[in-house]
Amino acid sequence: MANAVLMPKAGITVESCIIGKWLKQVGDPVKMGDILFEYETDKAVFECESTAEGELLEIFFQDGDEVPCLVNVCAVGAKGEDCSTLRPEGSAPAAAPEAVPAAAPAAPVAAAAATPASASADAAISPRARKLAESAGVDTACAAGTGPNGRVIERDVRRLMEQGVPAAAPAAAVSPAAEYEDVTFSGIRKVISKSMMASLQGSAQLTHHFSFDASIIRDYRAQMKAAGGDYAGVTLGDMVLFAVSRTLLNHPDMNAHMLDANTIRRFNVVHLGVAVDTPRGLLVPVIRNADTKSLVQISKEVKELAAQAASGSISPDKMSGATFTVSNLGSFDVEMFTPILNPPQTGIIGVCKMTDRVRRTKDGGIDVYPAMGLSLTYDHRAVDGAPASRFMQEVCRKLEQFTALLAD
Amino acid sequence: MPKSLFVDPAEVRASGKVTFHEIPVNQYNKTIEEELASGKFSKEDLIRIFRDMTVLREFETMLNLIKTQGVYNGIEHTYPGPAHLSIGQEAACVGQAYLLDENDFAFGSHRSHSEILAKALSTIHKMSDEQLMDVMENFLEGKCLRATQKLGETESVKELAIRFILYGTLSEIFARETGFHMGMGGSMHAFFLPFGIYPNNAIVGGSGTISTGAALYKKVNDKKGIVVCNIGDASMARGPVWEAMNFAAMDQYKTLWESHNGGMPILYNIFNNSYGMGDQTRGETMGQGCMSRIASGISPTQFHAETVDGFNPLAVIDVMRRKLELLRSGQGPVMLETLTYRFSGHSVSDQNAYRTKEEIDAWKEVDPLTVYPAKLIEAGILTQAEADAILAETAERMTLICKAAADPEISPYCDLDKDPAVIERLMFSNQRAVRLDDRTPEVLVPKEEAEGYQKIKSKSRSPIGPDGKPVSKMKLYNLRDALSEVIYDRFYEDPTMIAYGEDCRDWGGAFAVYRGMMDALPHCRLFNSPLAEGAIVGTAVGYALSGGRALVELMYADFIGCAGDEIFNQMSKWQAMSAGILKMPLVLRVSVGSKYGAQHSQDWTSLCAHIPGLKVCFPATPWEAKGLMEAALNGTDPVVFFESQRIYDIGEQFHEGGVPEERYEIAFGDTNRVRTGKDVTILTVGATLYRAVDAAKELSEKYGLEAEIINLHSLVPLDYTKIVESVRKTGKVVLVSDACARGSFLNDVAQNITQLCFDDLDAPPVVVGAKNWITPPYEFDKYFFPQKEWILDAIHQQILPLPGYVPAQPHSEAAQIYRSKLGV
Repeated sequence: MANAVLMPKAGITVESCIIGKWLKQVGDPVKMGDILFEYETDKAVFECESTAEGELLEIFFQDGDEVPCLVNVCAVGAKGEDCSTLRPEGSAPAAAPEAVPAAAPAAPVAAAAATPASASADAAISPRARKLAESAGVDTACAAGTGPNGRVIERDVRRLMEQGVPAAAPAAAVSPAAEYEDVTFSGIRKVISKSMMASLQGSAQLTHHFSFDASIIRDYRAQMKAAGGDYAGVTLGDMVLFAVSRTLLNHPDMNAHMLDANTIRRFNVVHLGVAVDTPRGLLVPVIRNADTKSLVQISKEVKELAAQAASGSISPDKMSGATFTVSNLGSFDVEMFTPILNPPQTGIIGVCKMTDRVRRTKDGGIDVYPAMGLSLTYDHRAVDGAPASRFMQEVCRKLEQFTALLAD
Repeated sequence: MPKSLFVDPAEVRASGKVTFHEIPVNQYNKTIEEELASGKFSKEDLIRIFRDMTVLREFETMLNLIKTQGVYNGIEHTYPGPAHLSIGQEAACVGQAYLLDENDFAFGSHRSHSEILAKALSTIHKMSDEQLMDVMENFLEGKCLRATQKLGETESVKELAIRFILYGTLSEIFARETGFHMGMGGSMHAFFLPFGIYPNNAIVGGSGTISTGAALYKKVNDKKGIVVCNIGDASMARGPVWEAMNFAAMDQYKTLWESHNGGMPILYNIFNNSYGMGDQTRGETMGQGCMSRIASGISPTQFHAETVDGFNPLAVIDVMRRKLELLRSGQGPVMLETLTYRFSGHSVSDQNAYRTKEEIDAWKEVDPLTVYPAKLIEAGILTQAEADAILAETAERMTLICKAAADPEISPYCDLDKDPAVIERLMFSNQRAVRLDDRTPEVLVPKEEAEGYQKIKSKSRSPIGPDGKPVSKMKLYNLRDALSEVIYDRFYEDPTMIAYGEDCRDWGGAFAVYRGMMDALPHCRLFNSPLAEGAIVGTAVGYALSGGRALVELMYADFIGCAGDEIFNQMSKWQAMSAGILKMPLVLRVSVGSKYGAQHSQDWTSLCAHIPGLKVCFPATPWEAKGLMEAALNGTDPVVFFESQRIYDIGEQFHEGGVPEERYEIAFGDTNRVRTGKDVTILTVGATLYRAVDAAKELSEKYGLEAEIINLHSLVPLDYTKIVESVRKTGKVVLVSDACARGSFLNDVAQNITQLCFDDLDAPPVVVGAKNWITPPYEFDKYFFPQKEWILDAIHQQILPLPGYVPAQPHSEAAQIYRSKLGV
């Protein structure tokens, strides 16, 4: 009897996943544990192992299709077995791909002469396009609307469907005459697009820029490097994370979530989000209970999480629940920036590069010292300028007196 | 412009003077004794005249009480509808009807209860018992008779017939299913064909043209009897009434109609009660003084006009006797002014603010209901006791009838809860009737010898000849030929069929559809009408409802405005208002112009399609034209048949093998898919079909899109099946017609498509119509009428952007709102 393989539920909060690419084709022999296909949540890429043995009889969804979790994705069984009863509603009629998928899910769309509007959550969609997308299991949010006023119309959905049924060559060839190409966002980019816009539109953000004397942490970093082992991996950024984790509980409105316009939730623990650049875009893994972890523990955990995020293997559950976020662009020579809040959090610190600055000494001379910039963006709905500044003053003081902090 | 009539300058320019003869006014002066002695009346006749007047008076008195007090002789009833009473006018009605029989048609106004009843009583008296039973049993399958029989046994068939006519009329007024028209006509549209009682009309003067058409029917088809057109004094202010009288007075009946030479058998009777609604026609709103003067402006015969005292029934009978002789000997038309007075108001809400009590009292002094019986008593013909007995009998009968008509058990309403389609079924008769009479059609030559017909038959029915080469324009069977061919065929089949309009005969119609037919048809079957659209359509309505088939033409669709009432209120409504008793085999050809500016270039399909009861078609290819004209001329429903002057010369480009030789019908409602495609549907009306074909070609060649084109050659009715099928396939639809976009019928189609295909639509349906402007001179045609580019614009800007396409006319929603705000 043929068995279905389900779209796994990759995390408690995950409702559906996009099929990245199929690694097995219809007709291939499949063993338990063989990797059938890759799938993508809005945050990471995973591999789906076969839960059945036999021949891959039918694939119900194609590359790029969004599939609700726990819905049948394919059927595995004895050769020639009927598996039509396993076919889920809303899937495309069986069409076996003839070649191993080669095209990326977000293949370039041939440039049309009419201006295509990029897809957004609010883009209008024709009833026909919606109906077609539903029957084909295509996520219309991925569609670039080329109808009047950017309306997603039938041809946009058909284009998505074509891209999802890969052939040897990319389904939609770029016209040689085109002066540009339109790229449809993949899952993570799409989520970033949506959440960044939502953040700026949905909260009252403003940014304060600070700098502190980084002499001590610079020296401490050199000491740790010399110490070797796990200590050698401790970075300036880790030290900022440590200092922030030790300051936040003194400023409960900064370690909080805005629940609605009139309510905030103050946390008694610090779950620190750390922004990480990955090939698929910005991801923010979370160091849970950072306030109870040592500098070295924090340093190690950041590295592990970053590696998982970069490879796409991170569990979605490790990327949720932060109470505050730190984003570090110091290594990109950024001197000052205005980080965007990660709602519903009320604050985010941007870590900037270290620069030399001068200051007047007590004896009237000139002193050159390393200054490091920190930019705090906070939600003015929850926190006013003075308390936000006081929070930053304490972070700066702790970093300037880092060894004292370690002693606490 | 008949060549046979020489317009002689010597005669036209000769000096002379116009003379009039005197018009008698109230000249009757005989006494009862003299009339009795003359042998024209028996005593019974004279008494019956009184009896009839009491029946009329009691009927309206009853209605007046029901309307004003909700009770008559203890019978309580509420009646919300109209009651335009004519209490006081009974002598005029009874006098007029006295000599008429069932072969004489009497048409009326909105104030016609007494006219109906008087004509009925007169006819009942003349008909045998067998005839009466036959009529009653066959009318509406005996439904009305059975209800009447529930009132109890009668001592005679005539009494049963009197009850029948009173009951049928009253239950019709009360909107009951047992009424003469299932209650669909009501007070102002009651009639009874078997007694020669023809429709009354709620439009003032509405009967003017219709009764003239009925007279035309009698004249052309040699039918027995004459036609009486009863109109009020106020209707003489209405244009169509003048048009009708002029139509009836045309010289050609005497100069050109050969076998049918002679005057029109019609009597225009003006019941002059001195008032319109409240306006006084003598002394205030008109200037003729005496209404009988009017005909002097229409014909040298002055229509043998006379003014008669309508308060004396014997005076009216006297004048009718003399006028009927004239009419029956082909000397019509005749005009009578019957002076009368209504004691009742215009309607029961009338407060008589416009006249004094003294005036009403002065007329009551000479009320025929008291003066006439007094004279009979004085002459020893009637005793007071007999008069009282007659009054009592009348009141008793009326009470019985009123009780039955008000009783929902005996007289139920049509049950629209149980059968919601009752009225739907009445809207069209949908019958096929090849011949409306059995006689041989009157023609001048056999069809095979008709030169024009042979010429059509010799043409190539396909644009490509058997040699594979394109056929020359002169030899190509075109849309005009398609119409002509069917009209020829039908003229040789249906003896009642006639065609007329402006310049239809010698000229062949302004667009030559009748070219050559004058050699095949006698004048009475194909003739030129006066330039009077109201009369053209109105007489055709009368001709058709009398039982003939009329094909009439308005040269330009724009002239529909001149025949507004006749098309929108008369042609469209009589089938349903009569509950299907009347048929309307009337085809009205109208031509959509071009090149002639604002008043000669409008596509008014939408106006006609809006009116319930009209079938509307607009063929755009010869194949469509032939099939639809065949269907229209075989049917029994009124059809407004649109044609486009842009494409009379066009050959068949779509139907495989060209236009078939053999005859065929295209069912009304059908659509014609002329091109198949999967990408976008284009629905067209009229000549825009050819612009859509050009657009489809460009879509295919430049953009790789295949358009499906469906021509809506039938607008009403319209079967959406194939449209829905197409739109479900393509998801995109543009609708194109030359009608101004605002209020275009295509908006209705678009709305239905939106409802029927909502989930399949890839964009809202887009209607492409002409601008909401005047039609400018032809030089600006491309700025006004939909062009190929406009169709592409609509697709590109509102449905499916086309790569690299540059719109001819930028569209934006803001501009759409702005223009609507300006009303342009």
